[in-house]
Amino acid sequence: MSKNKSTAVATDPKDAVTLKGNRMKHLRQNCPWLLMLVPAVLVVFLFNYLPIYGVLIAFQDFMPGDPILSPLTRWVGFQNFTRFFQDVQFWPLMSNTFLLCILGFIIGFPLPIIIALSLNALKSRKTAKVIQTIFTAPHFISLVVLVGMLTLFFGRYGLVNNIIAGIGGERVSYFLESGAFRPMYILSSNWQDFGWSAIIYIAALANVDPGLHEAAILDGASRFQRVIHVDLPAIMPMVSVMLIMSIGGLMGVGYEKALLMQTDGNLGVSELIATYVYKQGLTGVPDQAYATAIGLFNSIINVVLLIIANTTSKKFSETSLF
Amino acid sequence: MSEVLLKSLKKVYEGNVTAVHDVNLKIKDKEFIVLVGPSGCGKSTTLRMVAGLEDISGGELYIDGKLCNNVAPKDRDIAMVFQSYALYPHMTVYENMAFALKLKKVPKPEIDKKVREVAQILDITQYLERKPKALSGGQRQRVAIGRAMVRDPKVFLMDEPLSNLDAKLRNQMRAEIIKLRHRINTTFMYVTHDQTEAMTLGDRIVIMKDGFVNQIGSPEDVFDRPVNLFVAGFIGMPVMNFFDHCKLLLENGVYYAQIRNAKFRLDDFQQKALKQNGQKPCDIVAGIRPQHISVGSGQLEALVEVNEMLGSEVNLHTRSDDDEVVMVIPTVDLTVDVSMGSRVKFDTKPRLIQLFDKESGNNLIWYDKASADACSPVCKAYPFS
Repeated sequence: MSKNKSTAVATDPKDAVTLKGNRMKHLRQNCPWLLMLVPAVLVVFLFNYLPIYGVLIAFQDFMPGDPILSPLTRWVGFQNFTRFFQDVQFWPLMSNTFLLCILGFIIGFPLPIIIALSLNALKSRKTAKVIQTIFTAPHFISLVVLVGMLTLFFGRYGLVNNIIAGIGGERVSYFLESGAFRPMYILSSNWQDFGWSAIIYIAALANVDPGLHEAAILDGASRFQRVIHVDLPAIMPMVSVMLIMSIGGLMGVGYEKALLMQTDGNLGVSELIATYVYKQGLTGVPDQAYATAIGLFNSIINVVLLIIANTTSKKFSETSLF
Repeated sequence: MSEVLLKSLKKVYEGNVTAVHDVNLKIKDKEFIVLVGPSGCGKSTTLRMVAGLEDISGGELYIDGKLCNNVAPKDRDIAMVFQSYALYPHMTVYENMAFALKLKKVPKPEIDKKVREVAQILDITQYLERKPKALSGGQRQRVAIGRAMVRDPKVFLMDEPLSNLDAKLRNQMRAEIIKLRHRINTTFMYVTHDQTEAMTLGDRIVIMKDGFVNQIGSPEDVFDRPVNLFVAGFIGMPVMNFFDHCKLLLENGVYYAQIRNAKFRLDDFQQKALKQNGQKPCDIVAGIRPQHISVGSGQLEALVEVNEMLGSEVNLHTRSDDDEVVMVIPTVDLTVDVSMGSRVKFDTKPRLIQLFDKESGNNLIWYDKASADACSPVCKAYPFS
């Protein structure tokens, strides 16, 4: 139907004029709102879109100081990518990044949902708010302080080792143990962020019609059954959106925390794509073209994951980002 | 038997705010009782206490003879229809209706039979596989009623179930509820702020204000025999006309109502009632319903300010001295000029004049102190009435 309408618009000059007039009227009406958008659009363009231009160096034999586009640019095609795929570090980097992210996701994704549902189920709103504040507070601790705290707790002379030594055990250097890196990294990240991530679900739960709970009470549903049959379905669209976004950023782990926790002892598991990109691009003799190629490859994986997650979600839950 | 008994039921919220004061009400088996009143009068709170959704602060609640103050809502054998429908949005109509039975672990074939049976009664069979968002307001309300019906409750509670519907659908659904009531023949407790719903649906009406019950009675009782000014003003559309600065006179053993300079000899029934009550002459507020006024002749006069022609009748908004007087005159009875700006003489039958005590606002004839003191106010019964 809309197709026919647009055909009519295209063929009838009078209608086309009316449509143009309507658009202008619409623009004039929304002018203040559109103007308010300008700063945000500018910021996004300057800091998110304009730098994309820099990915061109992934396809160049680029040296720091060279212009990105000039007649002297040496284009090398996919050579930097091929080099990464053939790098001895390729599979360890991929598996380290993937394992760390997937384990973090498995633990970190449902945790805020469980916390939000639990807090919402508390009868005392005051208690719920106090607990929520306590859970949210760690989010504001900087990564450096967080890793400092981990050192205080798990360092050779930290709290945990002192307790172990106190009961006659042998001190363990957890930061040198490759087996301890992932649990420490994932659990500390989740500890820091689960309260913060729960906020969005708590907000969604606040919109649940209290009548639904009352209807469920009269239907004979227990507190747990109400969580399952009323609360959880109510936040499912939000869960779907967050799931898509999480999967889309699955391989996008940052380098800062891994670098801070990195030691020679755990390098085998703590070297991630992000830390490798950092080292290649900014330390020693910088190879920025190579680092950009690796970063771009990582981003492409994320985009592919995002599209897969979005399509799957669209198909099964009618919720999608685009 | 599914009798509901509210004995001095009370609700006090935090901060010592009393929402419901000592309600005493006996709802008979299969009776349709309507709680009506303005916003904040405590009608919904009373219903929610019966449902178990609000704790009872004082008094006793009996359902079918069983004290239910501390009985869980699911064990009270009641079902409730909410204003917002409260249908689970992720479930289909079938699942919504089956949910309570599923939780009760009723066998699947039985659930299926019950749901389809009720769906057929409510004419929603074709929507069973749809989700609530794919239904219209009226259809959703039917599903909400269906969800309550499948449980075969002893008592049906309805909290303003028609408030979210447009006027046309509301009329239609009201008729449906009347039909349904006769079909399922159980006890109904219905909350509304709409007096038309109250008058058309209820066997008895409970009129509440500020947490107090003002009158309990049949639609005829509350319309013809209001116990106080509030009930008289709340029930009836347009609202009853009240005339201030009136007097109840007693001359030679005969009672008269004096409205302005007009003197009405009260009807025999009123004479008897006032005598029985030992009523002395006093200042009163006289109430006359707009429908009980005739124009063309009479002792009173008013200036027509607005004339609303509704076809079969005409609503006249007039001013008589300081009082605004609304008159509903059937067009077939119109013999005089009632155009805007004209002056009309008007009259009423003395037996249709309601007499309210100026100070207390209680009806001099119908107010029954004993029942009011027992927090279950009804209109007074006279041996000769």
